This record gives sequence, C-alpha cells and structure tokens, in this order.
Amino acid sequence: MTDKVTVRVQRYRPEEDAAPWEQSFEVPYSEDLSILDALNQIKDQQDPTLSHRWSCRMAICGSCGVMVNNEPKLSCKTFLRDYREQGAVTVRALDNFPIERDLVSDISGFIDHLETVQPWLIREQETAVSEGAYPQTPEQMQRYAAFGQCINCGLCYAACPQFGRDPAFLGPGALALAQRYNLDSRDQGAAQRMQWLNAEEGVWSCTFVGSCSEVCPKDVDPAAAINRGKVASDINYAVNLFNILRGKDDA
Amino acid sequence: MRKPYVQRQRADWWLRNPAYRRYMLREATALPLFLYSLLLMSGLYQFTRGEAAFLAWLELLRSPWLLALHGMALAAALYHAVTWIALVPKILVIDSDRLRVSPATVKRAHQLGAVTCNAGLLLLALLLLRAAGGN
Amino acid sequence: MSSPEITTLQADIVIVGGGGAGLRAAIAAAEANPRLDILLLSKVYPMRSHTVAAEGGCAGVIQPHDSFDAHFDDTVSGGDWLCDQDVVDYFVRHATEENLRLEHWGCPWSRNADGSINVRAFGGMKIERTWFAADKSGFHILHTLFQTSLKYPSIRRCDEYFCTDLLVEDGACAGIQAIDMRNGSHTVISASAVILATGGAARVYRYNTNGGIVTGDGMALAYRQGVPLRDMEFVQYHPTGLPGSGILITEAARGEGGVLTNRDGYRYLQDYGLGPETPLGEPKNKHMELGPRDRLSQAFWHEAKAGRALATSRGEAVNLDLRHLGEARINERLPFIRDLARTYVNVDAVYEPIPVRPTAHYTMGGIQTDRHTATALPGLFAAGECASVGLHGANRLGSNSLAELGVFGRVAGEQAAARAGEGAVLDPQRLLARAEDNAARLDALRESSGSESLASIRDAMARAMEEGAGIFRLPGQMQQTCTAIAELKERYCKLGLVDRSRAFNTEWLNAIELGYLLDVAEAMAHAALARKESRGSHQRPEDFPQRDDGQFLKHSLVYRAADVPRLEWQDVVITRSQPAERHYGGAGQQEAKS
Repeated sequence: MTDKVTVRVQRYRPEEDAAPWEQSFEVPYSEDLSILDALNQIKDQQDPTLSHRWSCRMAICGSCGVMVNNEPKLSCKTFLRDYREQGAVTVRALDNFPIERDLVSDISGFIDHLETVQPWLIREQETAVSEGAYPQTPEQMQRYAAFGQCINCGLCYAACPQFGRDPAFLGPGALALAQRYNLDSRDQGAAQRMQWLNAEEGVWSCTFVGSCSEVCPKDVDPAAAINRGKVASDINYAVNLFNILRGKDDA
Repeated sequence: MRKPYVQRQRADWWLRNPAYRRYMLREATALPLFLYSLLLMSGLYQFTRGEAAFLAWLELLRSPWLLALHGMALAAALYHAVTWIALVPKILVIDSDRLRVSPATVKRAHQLGAVTCNAGLLLLALLLLRAAGGN
Repeated sequence: MSSPEITTLQADIVIVGGGGAGLRAAIAAAEANPRLDILLLSKVYPMRSHTVAAEGGCAGVIQPHDSFDAHFDDTVSGGDWLCDQDVVDYFVRHATEENLRLEHWGCPWSRNADGSINVRAFGGMKIERTWFAADKSGFHILHTLFQTSLKYPSIRRCDEYFCTDLLVEDGACAGIQAIDMRNGSHTVISASAVILATGGAARVYRYNTNGGIVTGDGMALAYRQGVPLRDMEFVQYHPTGLPGSGILITEAARGEGGVLTNRDGYRYLQDYGLGPETPLGEPKNKHMELGPRDRLSQAFWHEAKAGRALATSRGEAVNLDLRHLGEARINERLPFIRDLARTYVNVDAVYEPIPVRPTAHYTMGGIQTDRHTATALPGLFAAGECASVGLHGANRLGSNSLAELGVFGRVAGEQAAARAGEGAVLDPQRLLARAEDNAARLDALRESSGSESLASIRDAMARAMEEGAGIFRLPGQMQQTCTAIAELKERYCKLGLVDRSRAFNTEWLNAIELGYLLDVAEAMAHAALARKESRGSHQRPEDFPQRDDGQFLKHSLVYRAADVPRLEWQDVVITRSQPAERHYGGAGQQEAKS
C-alpha cells in the first residue's frame, strides 16, 4: 500500500462556476515529489480538467506560481516532503490577481506594470556595436545584479497587501525592474523613469511590509529596490523644488 | 467564455500569516504614540493656563491609566526604532563609484545616532531639572 | 449549434514564438521598417519561453588569438561535416556583433576585472569564445530581448495564443490560425510573412531537459503544409542532466573545471578518445570533459552498459565532481547549478558530486530553410531551434545555439520585413473558409469521446523514442519505433478528452501538442532508419558503425505522406573544410601538429 498524501486544489471553471470551490485528491507520495509533479499526476491520472501553468520545472521560467497553504510559491520548487507534518496541502491560484481558471491567474495587470516603467537600457547617445561593449566592472554589475534576477513569477504581487488593496500600484516586480536599469552603470534613463517611481502608484504606495522580498524565489529583494527608490524620489523632489525656487522651472 | 473571478482583499488579510501580523504591530505603534502626543498637547495647554493648572495636570499623570499609556508609548517607540533601524540599510544604500558605505556601517551609525540623541536629551532634561531644583 | 465566430486580425508580419529567435526577429523587423505592423504571437508569455533555461553561454569570437576560421573549423568538425559551410561562415562572422548588440541592450555579460567581456571554455571549442552571464545566460538574453522589444510601438503581442494552423493561399503562406487560450475562441491572422520561432521538440523523449511547452509546434505546422523537415535524426543528448527530472546542469560546470567520474571514481572519458587525462582543475579545450556532447553522451552509454555507472533512486548516473573548484568559485560562476543540485537531488555541489546522465536536449534538425531563413513555402520563414538552417550539422556545439538565435533571428526579421514591404496583406476574410474547417476539426478534438487517453499515448511515444531513437540506434529497435509511432498516430485518432470547456482548457491544448509531437517523432524515427551510417549524434554501432561520406554526406529531408513519410536527400554545402576525422584530446593535438 503506497503512502498517500491529500492535496486540496481550488477549482474554478468560468463557464460553469459562479465562484471557486475546493476539490480533494489523494496523490502517491515520494520523497522528491513537488507540488507541480502532484498537479501533473492529478491531471494525467485523476482529473484532466485541472488547468495549471508550468514549463521549465527548474524555477527559471516563472510560470507556476500558486498559493500553497496560503503562501505564494513556485509549484515546481515546493516539495510535499516539507508538508508532511501539516498533513494536507491546499493549492490555489495566486492572491491579488483575478482567477482565470483553476490555478491560472490573470496576470495581465502585472505585465502591464512591467511594460510601463521603460525597462530597457536608455542611452542619450547610442554607440555602434563595432566600437565594442560598454565597459562595466564586476563591482558595477553587482549594484544592480540582484534586481536583474526577477523571473516575473508574480509571487511578490501575491504577497503584497498594498497591491491587493489597489492593483494600480506598480508593485514590487515592476519597480525592482525599473531600479535594475536605474542602477546599471550603462543606463542613462533614471530621469525618465522617475515619473513612474514618483507617482502615487509608484514607490509611495509601498509601506515596506517586506513580504515581497520574503517570498521571492530568486532573492531579488524588491522591497529594497522600492524603498531605495523613495530616497531617489525624495532627492528628485528636493532638486526640482530648489530649481523652481531659483526660478528655473523645469516642468 | 472568459469570466475572471476577481478576488477581493479580505478585511482580515493581515491575520493570515505571522509576517503580516508583525507588520501590523509595527504600524500599530503609531496609535500609542498618537495618544501620547495628544497627552503632551493637553499638558502644553494646561501650562498656558498657569502653574496651578499645570501642576494638576502633572498630578493626573500619576494615575495608573496614564502610567500605562506612558509604558506603552515607550515600548511602541522602542519597537518602532528597532524595526526601523533594521530596515534602514535597505533604504539608505550608499554604493557608487565615488562613495561606498557598507550596510553594517549605515546601521551602526543609526544605532549610535539614536542612542546619542536619546541619552543627550535625557541628560539635558536632568540638567535642567537640577538647575530648576536649585532655585 | 452554428460554427463559433472566428476573430480576424491582420498584420504585416506574424511571428509565432516569443523566445530568443522570435523576439530578435521582431526587433529586427521593427528596426528594418518601423512602419510595419508586427505581431508576436506565443502560447506563453515570452519570458516563459525555453530560451530562459539555457545556462552556459553564447559563442562569439572576441579574443585576439581567436579567429572566425577557428570558430568555423570547430563548428564544422563538431557537426561531423554535415554543416552547410556557407551558413557556418556567415554565422561565425556575425555572432560577435549580435552578442555586442545584446550587451548594448543591457545584457549583463560577465566581465573581467577591467570591465571587458569575459569568455569561458566550452565543449568542442579550441579557443575560449563563449560569452556568459553567470550560469543563466539564456535567462539574461531572453529578458534583455523581451524588455528591449517593449521599446518598439510597432511590435504588438498576442500572449497566450496557441497557433494551430498555417494558412496557405495561392501557394504561399498567407497567415496563421490560433486559439485565444483565455476563452478558447479561434482567431485568423493574415500577414505577408510568417516567421516560425517555436523552438525544439525534445519532449518526444521520456527524459529531457526541456520545459513542458517544447513540443515541436512549428515543425509540425510546417510539416503539415508540405515543408520538409531536415536532419531530424540528429537529436542531442546533453551529457549532464539530473537523473529523473532531466533538469539541465550546464556544460559550463565542465568549462570551469568540473570532471566526470564513474562509480569507481575513475575519469572514464580518457578511454573514449578524449584523453589523456587532464589535471584536476586545469580543463583543456577539446580534451576530456570539454569534448563534444555526442562523444560524452556515447561514453556514458558504454559505461552504463559495462555496469560502471552509479545506481541512483532515479536511474543510472555518473558523477559530476565540482568539489575541487571550491565554494567561492562555485558561488561566483555556478550559483544556479548549486541551487538546482540542492533543490532537486539534495546534493550540495561544494561537498558532494552531482549525479548526472545524458538527457535529450536539443533538436539539431528542423524546418528546412535556406541561409536566409526562408522555407520552401513562400512567405514562411523559420529561425532558431525549430529551423534547420544548416548550422549545426550532426552535432551542435554548446553555446552555438544561443548565438544562432541572434544571428538568424535577425536575418529572419529582416527577410520578413523585406517581403512585407513588397506585397499586400491578404484580406483575412479570404482565409475564413479554410479557417472554419480547421476550427471544426479542433473543436471536434475537444469534444472527442474515444477510448484512448492522452497520457498513455504520450508516455508510450516517449518510451518508444527513448528505445529506438536514443543515444545509440539499434536496427530492430529503430524499426519498432517507427511502427510504434504509426500505431500511436492511429490511437491518437481515437482520443477521448474529458474537459469540454473552452476557457483555458489545457487538456485540449495538450492534445493538440501531442499531435505535433507525434508528427515530429515520426519524422525523427524514419530519418534515423534511413540514414545508414553513423555520424555525430546519430550512432548505429551494430549495423552501420562508420561514417559514410560517399553516400551520406547529405541532409535527410522528411516529407509528410499518407502513411509512411517520404525521404529525400540534399547535398551538404562544402566550401573550404573537407570531411576529415574528428579529433579531440591528445589525438587532436597531434592532428594539429602534423
């Protein structure tokens, strides 16, 4: 008799259901079984109508974000062995996003925010590639390296109560990405991105709950990115004010 | 057809996990401090009304409720200071080609600043009391 | 019920697939002609594309003592002379510039202390020319390309649209048909030019490094419209995947000095023409663990057969030992690998060797294109792993495929832009009749109530491919696999699906993918049977153990046919490198000296 574990999965079929409901499955347990493995087993052998996103299985594509016992996790990197004591495991779609279907969230709001902050290298003058690479020392790369590790999984948005309260908040992922470019020594676009940081829905919606950084599977530390952005925003505000008072209105 | 289910944030969202509860406690330190500042303002007002009024207000402060408020406000201020100083190295990052200050140094500097300011103010208050007591 | 409404859209260029090649093509087309309307369509958000999982690096000649000729020679010999040499020549001359372009777009290539680009050693390369971004090169390249693509207002995206058909009108590709995954409705998009950039198909195998989405979609779509698939018998087994899951452990681990040992702790590669043994921590290009991937995978097969592999709970493996590199170097150069080993096999690479085994990884073959990425179907282009442009031949060198995305992604974008600039886009209404037939067929699949289950057909296919089209191909088994695939295609017609819904019905989409995989598997198996020689990653040790340049210095072309696919052969383009023996290790050095 194989060892079994109970996996409760939140279901939602827009064509049939008015609201999400819970379905319980028994999955054969093994030491290295991930939540994703369990979901695939359920889909293959028990209920093919279960929809979930996944691809790489190695926590680099960012597809498989779900809530596992009320914590945002990547299903491919979360293992049933860590939930043995708790007995059952409950899996549902990420918090703070509308549910498209079962475990599939509508993350279009998050994608829009990513696109808003001008997340590309901005140069005043482009040089031809024939002139070689822009120099950048390892120390300079360290300054933005962590903020550049984001896999766009959305766990930070699921963890952020400010985003939960107001989806217009640009959020940890987008703001960390903005900072990734702001702090890249090759970039010259911080002034242009300031409008996004400065906005009410920019860094100023953040109250430093810090959960985003706690749940991030890639140690991006978006909380640090946002709150450093507050300092930058303050300085920008002060400089503008000074200029206005001096009669140099830059608006 | 498509019909996304919008999940509304629950009013008790912060009860959900320990990290959120700690966050709300940190934010809640504003409450005792707010009440304490109201108390101080009332004292200032009594001060403008003359010595008798002010002394009466001082006497009021000895009541158990207000002593408790003092205790809570102090605890709140300390908790806020500790959690704030823990976060400062994330916020104040000085790391450019021209100047680099380590996060540990930033933290130490704030701790030192906090201790110095508080000790200094306390010393000042004691000195003023001594001077006043001498008259 | 009347047929569901089909949405119609129009664009100048449609690009199917949002990975490295697709995004590079989109940017190239947007830059070539900013007035063109470019639609990038992908069944996943672009940053989920499997480019993201590539780890080791991206080739490009940069060191002063390196040369285009040297990169050319390594690639051609690595491909066992099945590469089209004019294509390789073009590639090596443009790879560096593409890497620099990525750098200009922000890609965080790892640097030397002085800020210049760092390069590392890689399998089969004589001189270090592999640019890398820590051990997440593909991740950084993909995110750089995706974020850069956002700069261009002329690039619009259809995220989570599943391409189901190519639409051909008047003998040319006139557009595509896709399912909007959110609501299951059908969309027709007419265009002057279509670029397929849908990636490889290693998911036909049981153990593979690939993500779930790598199901050969574009290959099957082209195949179904009469475009031949080329060199499909050449599938690369990456020597170091984690046992069980197949998760990729980058070649860079060996580039940094990691070694492979069998159960006796012996560095067995020296017995397979890759010796003499190089000192620990001093890797030598083209020797031992830096030999080409096909040789390393084949060596494992022999060791396992001789009983010298480790038995693990997840199958047989050998050891990838990184301990001598030390914690500091591992954390600096291979942090992701350390994380993967800890997470998925509970091994800390700093203190223990990582169990690894060859795992299906890359499809050298694909949609036949010329050197301008044009397919036999006018208006249809293909780039990246889904295409066979002629670069990799019988075995791909590591770090050449990420470089391929930039070089040929750009070519595809520019070519498509040129074509789009000339002609008018067809009115999508003209494609509706055909689209309705397609939609009816797809909806019937969704409503199918046969007796066969998706999972069992898929698993049977994967096992059959592993047995008959694996590292070594044995005569009886190859034929059995061809027969098995044919049977599975019949069973597929009797599929029964459970999920009848339309909104994000992944069972339905998985069934369509399975159809693609079966087509690709059929091409692979029949091409393997037809190539009666051993070359590169296609090895027939029992019946045809030698390379046969007389008869088979040719590309195989598989054409879809009624029951058994039709095979044709196409000459390889040879310019300046005549086929010779592939030399690695000490023999290679002697070769060079003579």
